[in-house]
Amino acid sequence: MKVFERLSQAFKAEGTTSVFGMMGDGNMYWQYANHKNGIKMHEVRHEGVGLGMADGWARATRTPGVCTATCGPGTTQLATAFVTAARASSPVVAFCGEYPTSDDEYTQALDQSAFAHGCEAAFVRMGTAEDADEAVRKAFYIARTQSRPVLLSVPMDLQQKEWDDDEPYTPSTAIIPKRTITPNQSAIEQAADMLCKAKRPVIVVGRGAMWSGAGDEVRKLAQRSGALIATTLQAKNWLTDDEYHIGISGTYATKTAIGLLSDSDVVVAIGASLNRYTTHEGLLYPEAKFIHIDPKQHVMLSRGKGAEHYVQSDGKAGVAALNGELEKRNFKQVGYRTGEVKEKLANAWEDRQEYKLEEGTLDPRPLCLALDDLVPNNINLFVGSGHTSGFTNILFRKTRPIVMPGHFFGCIGQMMPAAVGAVIGSGMKPSILMDGDASTMMHIGDFDTMVRYNVPLLIYCMNNQCLGAEYYKLEAHSMKVDTSCIPTADLGAVARAFGGRGALCRTEEEVKKATKEWLANPGPMIIDVRVSRSVVTLPYRRVHYGEDV
Amino acid sequence: MIEVNERIEVPSTPQAVWLILSDPAAVVECVEGAVLGDKQEDGSFNAKMAVKFGPAKVSFAANVLVAYDEANKSGSVTARGKDGISGTKFKTAMQFKVEGQDAPPQSAIPIKAECELSGRLAHLIESGANLVIKRMTASFAEKLAERCGGSKSA
Repeated sequence: MKVFERLSQAFKAEGTTSVFGMMGDGNMYWQYANHKNGIKMHEVRHEGVGLGMADGWARATRTPGVCTATCGPGTTQLATAFVTAARASSPVVAFCGEYPTSDDEYTQALDQSAFAHGCEAAFVRMGTAEDADEAVRKAFYIARTQSRPVLLSVPMDLQQKEWDDDEPYTPSTAIIPKRTITPNQSAIEQAADMLCKAKRPVIVVGRGAMWSGAGDEVRKLAQRSGALIATTLQAKNWLTDDEYHIGISGTYATKTAIGLLSDSDVVVAIGASLNRYTTHEGLLYPEAKFIHIDPKQHVMLSRGKGAEHYVQSDGKAGVAALNGELEKRNFKQVGYRTGEVKEKLANAWEDRQEYKLEEGTLDPRPLCLALDDLVPNNINLFVGSGHTSGFTNILFRKTRPIVMPGHFFGCIGQMMPAAVGAVIGSGMKPSILMDGDASTMMHIGDFDTMVRYNVPLLIYCMNNQCLGAEYYKLEAHSMKVDTSCIPTADLGAVARAFGGRGALCRTEEEVKKATKEWLANPGPMIIDVRVSRSVVTLPYRRVHYGEDV
Repeated sequence: MIEVNERIEVPSTPQAVWLILSDPAAVVECVEGAVLGDKQEDGSFNAKMAVKFGPAKVSFAANVLVAYDEANKSGSVTARGKDGISGTKFKTAMQFKVEGQDAPPQSAIPIKAECELSGRLAHLIESGANLVIKRMTASFAEKLAERCGGSKSA
């Protein structure tokens, strides 16, 4: 057996069933072995897209996503996607070929360790052929235990060496202990003391709470303590069936939510990092004391502060223990759960500001509300970043099997790859992606990949024919906006040219008709929706125009 | 850096306007969200000021030094402050003068100021802060006019 074949066996033993990436001479033999081992290869048109897909796979399945690139120029294409995956805390293993150990002047030579470091990824190098098992195990161990991307660098010549060891491969999962971190009783009692004194409590849940399966316990805690439920951006739309759910805490909060959050006296944060965006630099909670429940040893909050009370615990176990303690004390209060608050929340998502729309364009706000209503709740939702997200992150409210917003690393164009990876990882379930025109155009070449693998993803391109964020920032500074205006072709026609489906829509009726056609037969599709530049998102109106909205 | 170059017009005599502007307590009453604190040994004042950037409120604790030139009916204000929650800091230097006008409204107050915001929030709010300061200036003019006995500023 050759080392590349052993490497493939090791990946399979680690649970790899799909790989995303692009073939080159640094990884093609390994890919060939993967094919023989039944690992499905998803060939993309840009290596960074492959890593983005592995990132989406990891976020959706909570198992390591695997991607591949050849040495040197193939590897450097991974840069933005690596940083994005690192910021998303995604366990990803990138199998990267490396130039031959015997040829320092090889054209595609690159210091891949320095590259990985600059991209915030961990680095593992297979230094000798005999280290093949150890290198793969170490890469997956780091990805799983540190929840971050790893660049596994494998010199091309070493891949061709003979492997004559017949000992079975031991996967990283065999050496990682499984345990649930349960809370200390005295820490729970102190948390209960604080919560019992609260008059206006808020519960902020993040991905950690969601992933731990704490939903029912969070609902119970909110009802018992009279708390409102808010989510971080990453846990968007989770538990929205609760009638006192106020949406996202942070940049994408409604004005109603900001008012209520600002008056809160105790915040219970569960599996949420409470970063600068979630707390709006702390300004969202000027008077509140924090109870923070998280499995990490400790989490530093925005502005380098700590919570008044920290409980190290798995989310579900921590909230269950807190519910148990409150029940023992027979504590139950109305708190924020009043008729008056419910009435406020009923109209929280209305934005009545009127704008004059350019001819043949739509107001994105009613469009988002109509689509959230039209697209059934068994369809997953992916939300790109950029100006468009100021509409979509606020106005799409339905709980769905997967709701995945972007924003890691603040880059555009990364959500289409992540959405494709997540859709493939979750069993090809029909999904929609809301994104902007610059994002859609950035990786339009990989719509071809969506078509080749028949990925049931509908991309709504909210096309205002400009770089939205820059357009409004220039306008707010009274600068000419023309430099940010970049027209696109009819992207529906582009989608059809790639062999998928597509439509160009200028009215709500046209969008609904195209959507219904896709719902009847989901597949790869782009709906190019022409939207108005006049309509500005709430976050931008606050930040760039100083509006109290 | 936010630059302010505004001209407030008030339907009161320059003397009436000066009477207000030369009293720091009266001036602060014309600034929405501001509260004057204790006078310090160097003649400056502590002050608190809450400014709304969008729906979020930033509460600055500030030190304000006012210098008057009565003969010219002019003055300068230097202030610096910090918001304890977001860590946002500001520094500002402002010059003003009360001028009489032949035609109504009777007084004009040209104001020139430079305001510098720093901290992590600053780059996020600076373009909006420009508009916020303009609105605060307009509100100040309105309140000053009311205080002087006029009904509104021009």
